[in-house]
Amino acid sequence: MAVPGEGLAKGLAVTLKTMTRRATTQQYPDVPPELPPRSRGVIALLEENCTVCMLCARECPDWCIYIDSHKEEVVVPGAARPRQRNVLDRFDIDFSLCMYCGICIEVCPFDALHWTPEFEYAEYDLKDLLHDKGRLGEWMETVPPPPAHDPNGEPSKEESTVAKKAGA
Amino acid sequence: MTSQLREMTVGTQAGLDTADMVLNIGPQHPSTHGVLRLKLVLDGERVVACEPIVGYMHRGAEKLFEVRDYRQIIVLANRHDWLSAFSNELGVVLAVERLMGLEVPERAIWLRTALAELNRVLNHLMFLGSYPLEIGAITPMFYAFREREVLQAVMEEVSGGRMHFMFNRVGGLKEEVPYGWTGRARAAIDAVRTRMPDLDHLIRCNEIFLARTVGVGVLSAEDAAAFGASGPVARASGLDLDLRRDEPYLAYGELSVPVVTRETGDCHARFEVLLDQVYASLDLAQQCLDRVDRITGPVNVRLPKVVKAPEGHTYAWTENPLGINGYYLVSRGEKTPWRLKLRTASYANVQALSTLLPGCLVPDLIAILGSMFFVVGDIDK
Repeated sequence: MAVPGEGLAKGLAVTLKTMTRRATTQQYPDVPPELPPRSRGVIALLEENCTVCMLCARECPDWCIYIDSHKEEVVVPGAARPRQRNVLDRFDIDFSLCMYCGICIEVCPFDALHWTPEFEYAEYDLKDLLHDKGRLGEWMETVPPPPAHDPNGEPSKEESTVAKKAGA
Repeated sequence: MTSQLREMTVGTQAGLDTADMVLNIGPQHPSTHGVLRLKLVLDGERVVACEPIVGYMHRGAEKLFEVRDYRQIIVLANRHDWLSAFSNELGVVLAVERLMGLEVPERAIWLRTALAELNRVLNHLMFLGSYPLEIGAITPMFYAFREREVLQAVMEEVSGGRMHFMFNRVGGLKEEVPYGWTGRARAAIDAVRTRMPDLDHLIRCNEIFLARTVGVGVLSAEDAAAFGASGPVARASGLDLDLRRDEPYLAYGELSVPVVTRETGDCHARFEVLLDQVYASLDLAQQCLDRVDRITGPVNVRLPKVVKAPEGHTYAWTENPLGINGYYLVSRGEKTPWRLKLRTASYANVQALSTLLPGCLVPDLIAILGSMFFVVGDIDK
């Protein structure tokens, strides 16, 4: 039979032990958290890469991406006739609807969308969470380089592209 | 309104004849982890009948599955039980892979097993913190969350998410793990393992905790089986059932999975099963990571842009942290399922409350409710 109060004493011993340790508190607003590069904070848009293929807007599970565009004719010197090019007029992501699944980034064939770990974009009004292409473009400079892959697995898309270019 | 005034005496020993009182716990009650409503009939302090009323958080997940392709389904499957997101994704992709007859690369299988076990630890730590909190012990919560934070950092590094991992894909995983991740994951597991005794000593044998939980809310093995309860709740009643051992999926067949059981079936037994399962799962995750380090190769299968499951139906079930989750997938060869039925652990476990609660006292009610370990999102879907 156990001594009465033994369980309580054991618990208090843990408390005493913890008292001598440093607190695990992170001083958040003063010290920003270190987030891994894959962290899904906010989506950045590299406008130059976007061809208005609409894949992201179609694949989004809750349709929170809004895209408008128009066609422009570009005269290429030496070409027989002018080429047509899509010009992006509007690219909005509504972060009040976004579920942060990353499907849009995964399906983008031209790497126009990227995750960045930035998260400090809370708003007082829900409608201010609609980021236009200017705001989404501003996030681009916070996009971290992707982490290198485990050598046991396949190299990342970026690594293999570089290797291919170096070999060619 | 009746014109006649009626006198009613309510309460214990207030008179010879006491009227039964109907009391609603919830739908917005802090100890129900969401919006579960319990309709209780009370005779004084004693519960005469209990009817769990579910559905306040119904989001129509199954119907939404029917208009989503298989990758979009993972987004939703992540969310019905928000504490076991990885295991939920896993069930969906296992069902689709089985229907398509896909062979998943070995490295992906072991990584999935490791991550599923880490997810189990995360889930159990949440309940190990919140259960004592519900019956008045605040401190274990801080210890549990300290450990959760360490493991969540590992999960975030690999998947980018802290709760909704979105890391499974049909045919494997989203991408390879970062360089040195297995080492850091192993370090995190070691850290949690060395600090788990803190949480253990703090609460497991605490006399006040024992007084609140031992012999309270006893669920017999027969009742547990009759209600289809599974997971820690059933194993605490002596129902020795664990799909990881009994019908192995992923890499569990090659691992020796220790099944933690208790015989008493009371609140304390349920808590202990959870606590001991954390140690077991940490060991399993470690073994999986050791294997991952020895296996080379891809972590996913190259698939066409549009994934279509062939016509047919299949049923996949997994041992989720809270119990058995089943996924009945019917496909008509479209890129969306024709039907994807969920059998969720919390739904079955919560049904047992209607036999567990009658006869108990109101102060014990929260102790029992908390020990059933459910997530309301998982009940209502």
